[in-house]
Amino acid sequence: MELSSSQRKTIRHQFDSFCKKVLREEYRDCVREAQRRLQYEISFSELSPQELDQLYVMDEYSTDSNHFSVLGYDVAVKDDLVSTALAALSEQKRDIILLSYFLDMTDQEIGEKLNMVRRTVQYQRTSSLRQLKKLLEGKADE
Amino acid sequence: MNKHKSQNTILLPFPVIRMAADGNIDAINAVLKHYEGYIAALSTKRLYDENGNPHLCVDEELRRRLETKLITKILAFKVA
Repeated sequence: MELSSSQRKTIRHQFDSFCKKVLREEYRDCVREAQRRLQYEISFSELSPQELDQLYVMDEYSTDSNHFSVLGYDVAVKDDLVSTALAALSEQKRDIILLSYFLDMTDQEIGEKLNMVRRTVQYQRTSSLRQLKKLLEGKADE
Repeated sequence: MNKHKSQNTILLPFPVIRMAADGNIDAINAVLKHYEGYIAALSTKRLYDENGNPHLCVDEELRRRLETKLITKILAFKVA
């Protein structure tokens, strides 16, 4: 079907306005979309620290901490300095430290578990603390 | 919009329109080229730097989106 030159001219005009309309409408859609999104979007810098904290989680791996076992309990120590210092202690002293500071037991309870007098536990505990202090301060000085 | 007035008067040749509507890639490219200026004008945004000086820059994402839309619509155009 051949079109007359005036028909062609009409189609050329139609096409032109069609294309412009398409672009104009799409542009308007984009602007509207952006405005709608703006209601829900917020810049990271405008978030309160509490809200920011909710946005991430730190993975915890068992390999990140050193494990000590005492009386069947598994105690995880995260800090490297503390765990090496603990490893340097004798087994009995380490057990007392772990039981009292990591498992929150009283000297009395520890004494009952380890078949010791409360007073001995207390003595061992304080002397181990002194020893630990020396070890940790020695590390810190390096 | 005044600077596009001159473009308004220039129309694409009829054969190009027909071929573009039929999916001819070269013809579609010619149509895109023809409306390049209008698309760029629509996707130009005025941004302000930290001193408050205005900068004009083309939003590439918007430009691509307008282009894509035009291509899909060209193919839907019915030539008589």
